[in-house]
Amino acid sequence: MNRFTVKVLSFSAILAISACSSPERSRDLNDASIPVKATALQVCSNCHGGNGVSISPNFPNLAAQTQPYIAKQLTAFRSHARSDPEGYEYMWGLSSHLTDAQINGLASYYSQLPPPAGSQDNSGKLKTDKEGQRIFEEGIPASGVPACTACHGAHAEGNDQFPRLAGQHAGYLVKQLKVFQLTDQRPDGVAMKAVTHNLTPENMLSVAAYLEAMSSTAK
Amino acid sequence: MNLNVYFSFVMNNKAGGKAIRASWITMLIIGFSILTSQSAQAIPAYARQTGQNCLACHAGGQFPELTPYGRLFKLTAYTLGSRTIPISAIGVVSLSKSLHPDSDPAFVKDSNLIFQTGSVFLGGKISDNVGIFAQATYNNYSGDSGYQGVWGSDNFDMRYADRYISPSNDIIFGASLNNNPSVTDVWNSAPAWIIYAPTQFGVTRPDASPVVDNLGAQVAGVNVYAMWNNLLYAELGGYKTANGVFSFLSQGTSNINQTKLSGINPYVRVALTHEWGAHNIMVGMFGLNAHIFPDNTVQSGPTIQYRDRGVDAQYQYLLDPHTVSAQFSYVRETINNGAITGIASNASNTLNALRIKGTYIYQAKYGTSVSYFNTTGTSDPTLYSSANASPDTRGWTPEIFYTPLQNIRIGLQYYAYQKFDGASTNYDGNGRNAKDNNTAFLYVWGAY
Repeated sequence: MNRFTVKVLSFSAILAISACSSPERSRDLNDASIPVKATALQVCSNCHGGNGVSISPNFPNLAAQTQPYIAKQLTAFRSHARSDPEGYEYMWGLSSHLTDAQINGLASYYSQLPPPAGSQDNSGKLKTDKEGQRIFEEGIPASGVPACTACHGAHAEGNDQFPRLAGQHAGYLVKQLKVFQLTDQRPDGVAMKAVTHNLTPENMLSVAAYLEAMSSTAK
Repeated sequence: MNLNVYFSFVMNNKAGGKAIRASWITMLIIGFSILTSQSAQAIPAYARQTGQNCLACHAGGQFPELTPYGRLFKLTAYTLGSRTIPISAIGVVSLSKSLHPDSDPAFVKDSNLIFQTGSVFLGGKISDNVGIFAQATYNNYSGDSGYQGVWGSDNFDMRYADRYISPSNDIIFGASLNNNPSVTDVWNSAPAWIIYAPTQFGVTRPDASPVVDNLGAQVAGVNVYAMWNNLLYAELGGYKTANGVFSFLSQGTSNINQTKLSGINPYVRVALTHEWGAHNIMVGMFGLNAHIFPDNTVQSGPTIQYRDRGVDAQYQYLLDPHTVSAQFSYVRETINNGAITGIASNASNTLNALRIKGTYIYQAKYGTSVSYFNTTGTSDPTLYSSANASPDTRGWTPEIFYTPLQNIRIGLQYYAYQKFDGASTNYDGNGRNAKDNNTAFLYVWGAY
């Protein structure tokens, strides 16, 4: 290798290592000056999608979710109050250095994105689940299960700290219903512990399928 | 001394003594230590940097296979998260037992529990755009005698990346300095990643394999790559012998054992990928042209020309508690001897390596996999010294493994040969059968 090549390589390496990237494209989670949009697109999008709609049901859609709900969840991840497995595996670390301002900013960013299209399940079929609709609108009076609409809104659009459910992945919803029913890993959702107490696995699948398919534009 | 100063120091020290280059690991550690003031925890470096569990990046917790998220972490140059002390260590304790060991050196540790290798990793974010994955491995059974403990370079991938992303468009592009063609890859069907058998004892691979499998820690490559909308991946690289200023990439490999490439040797990789629901798939191809001097100690004169062409595919289904994955890899190699005589009877030869692997993991704890491998090629009595003058080797590798904690894995693999060096029975002309090489391999792998 000649001397010129060595110099070019050396210079390139130093330049690359020393390079200051633009804050608009930073993936640094330990710098509160990074714009929340940059963090959302460079980091959160890896799982939650560039538009807040995730591909895998392992990860919830965030688009059009209520701002207070997202902020509360990020805060709960940061304090380790929310400890369901995926939350612990992915979100504890990512949230650990976020400031309150970043949390509120990220929550606002996602709450303002267009809601998920929410009509297709993973196999591409349109979901119409009458049983799920009945549970959502009327609950299961005989089992003491209240209607979901009471807190989550007539169109599952969410309300303040009660999350939007319309268009959410059915797989994610079922998993969270089980977390509420069987564990104490989400203490903020203590109200859901009573709600889910008498839900059967079939009830959960039905209501989740209905919600996943729900028209997303209805408010 | 921080890292960039150190790097330029090495790069500019053409006449730098062996001691300087040999101490690169130490210097990097010092550089990183100064760059950060955070305390270390007893978990591997990337997990510490991101604060995440190993499962976030490794499918079912199964090192080294990456999840979609892990692939993005690598493509964005290991820079996501907060800078921390980027040091991890891995140790492998293993035992191999073959059905009928003979006097071959491969069997000298048959039935012995050994501490074979330990690795130190430097992994993590250096700046917002630059990160590193560097592995130095101590092999207890190395050196010219085969029984010396030797520290050497293992996988090395230092990369720069940037990402322009909007809600509707996403492009990641970068460059990597690395020491193994395909070590840059983010799919487990790549030659550098598909086989996990951390031992040199017993018989865990065919005698012959494409050159792309055999250049690790001997070459230096600079690759550029781009991923567009998580759909199309393209990579172009050039590899040369890792000597001179790049010799830190081949530390531990003696000159006589180091493959010597002539000039810059091109590597190209293209892949299409798609994700739907909990599923994702990749279909890709790669090519490597390598011009290699026939004598490792003479870097002049005519070369042997290797042309490796590969097609590969990977499928994953990742939804707690299930992890399903499958890999397919087929590499066709043509070896043209050109003006070189004496190393092969044919003017050119071909070698084909097929590997198919399927894995299922439950709760990221209990795993099983099965691999099928079939290597075929032209017969050549000079190139292949076995009785049949053939590289043809075929078999299966079932495996079970258990991951009680995210950084400990206990596994048992069994290499079952249906054909070895061209025959099922009496492949060596002395009555040895392919199945006599069947090898059980038990390992305990720990990472900190």
